[in-house]
Amino acid sequence: MSARLRTAALTALVLLAQSQIADAHIVNARLGDFYAGALHPLLTLQDMLVLVALGVLAGSLGAASGRWLVVVFPLGLCAGLGLAVAASIAPVPPVVDAATILLLGLLLAASLRIPVALLCAIAFALGMMRGAANAGELVPQTDRLLYAAGLACAGYVTITLVMAVALTFRRPDTEPVSSWRGIALRAIGGWVAAVGLMMAGLSFAT
Amino acid sequence: MTVARALLSVVLALAGLLLARPAVAHQATIAVLEFREMRAGVYIGRWTTLPKDGANRIDLRMPPHCLLRLPELNCGDKGLVGQMTIANLGEDMSAAIIRVTSLAGETRSYTISAANPVVTVLGTDAPTLDTWIELAKTYVNLGIDHILLGADHLLFVLGLIWIVQGGWRLLKTITAFTIGHSVSLAVTAFGLIGVPEAPLNACIGLSIVFVGVEIVKQQRGEIGLTAKYPWAVAFGFGLVHGIGFASALAGLGLERRILPAALLFFNVGVEIGQILFVTLVLALIWAHRRLGAELPRWGAELPAYAIGSVSMFWFLSRLVRVLAAA
Repeated sequence: MSARLRTAALTALVLLAQSQIADAHIVNARLGDFYAGALHPLLTLQDMLVLVALGVLAGSLGAASGRWLVVVFPLGLCAGLGLAVAASIAPVPPVVDAATILLLGLLLAASLRIPVALLCAIAFALGMMRGAANAGELVPQTDRLLYAAGLACAGYVTITLVMAVALTFRRPDTEPVSSWRGIALRAIGGWVAAVGLMMAGLSFAT
Repeated sequence: MTVARALLSVVLALAGLLLARPAVAHQATIAVLEFREMRAGVYIGRWTTLPKDGANRIDLRMPPHCLLRLPELNCGDKGLVGQMTIANLGEDMSAAIIRVTSLAGETRSYTISAANPVVTVLGTDAPTLDTWIELAKTYVNLGIDHILLGADHLLFVLGLIWIVQGGWRLLKTITAFTIGHSVSLAVTAFGLIGVPEAPLNACIGLSIVFVGVEIVKQQRGEIGLTAKYPWAVAFGFGLVHGIGFASALAGLGLERRILPAALLFFNVGVEIGQILFVTLVLALIWAHRRLGAELPRWGAELPAYAIGSVSMFWFLSRLVRVLAAA
């Protein structure tokens, strides 16, 4: 047995010693909460708008800026969900949700060169907000760890794919902001801002 | 590229580790309910052997188009066709036998138990177009659910993608895995072979350990069996995983005349789920390449260890079950 295999076996033994009785087959166990956590943000307009707008914004800034969000955004989601569960923090009001979408849209439309640290801070804050918002779906029976894993997974997959698509489309290293590709992305930013504005108006109206 | 695999591995691994639930024993009592068709689609039912705690506590679920108000069961023009189950089986009753006698006098018996929680009833003129549509909807969904909820199967496929790295070789490898599990699924579902579930699940865990070791070998620059003959390894372990897939069908109490169709639709569902997963992994690999988001050198081996450790955990925990049962 190789040293690495021994290490793996030892790790498994440690896990085994700390676990409950395992199910014979994973399909027999509860994985429903994982998929509940993964699907909830993908089926919510506010979540999807934030994910797409943030992904396009980060992708348009280039790979060097965007790649940090692969980790930062899911961490923000988990932190927000954890905080909401632990401290029973209520989700932010709809008008704040709308304002963040408006702000993201404006940032994208303005095509500002956002420093990496600031981009990460924005992504983490947005992740926390959306994580806390998704905590509203939790019921006492929900396995919180699985739900958080699903939520983080959905956030990671969506933000990574959207960033890569935006980066591939925008080509920030070879084409200037004034190219038609840059203008197209700025137009998307304008639409996102418009949706944010409408949502803000709607939240005041209701 | 490795970040995508690493995160997927960790998520799948965590999901697998967090799922343990203790088994619950229940009393062994059997009840018998008989339905006799009085006119087309309308049945009169009565308990010939009452459940231990009375019939009122039994949560009997009939097909959605049927209206059950014992003693009457009215299924309209469609007749008694579809799935029957008892939602609270196991609390006071370990099994129930439902006998259905048609107008023509033909009697069929269905047993609902913990191992066989849902039974599918076919009309006497089946299979009709409605039956086919119902079967397709039910079993394609079941197949998709089974593969997407089967963290061990997905981890094995992820390991194959890791070693083979994409392209035509990956297509051949995944196809070989598909053929392998389709063959053994069919053979097992038709009862030609029977493998006890506990040791089989231990073998499935071991197959992922094997893939984990192969990944480590590849990272050390060695050419392992999977790197040399990926399709053969995929086919071989596909046979093992296919028997595992069959366990999902075994609990459904399928009539033999619909078994081939159910098997086909279930397999289609498994393939749809598998294609979705492979596509997602390949898309993430592409995205990570575009973004240049890769693990640092010191962390390059983490995913292989994550796969190896989790699968070893599964293997050992399942082995303990086998030994405990022996």
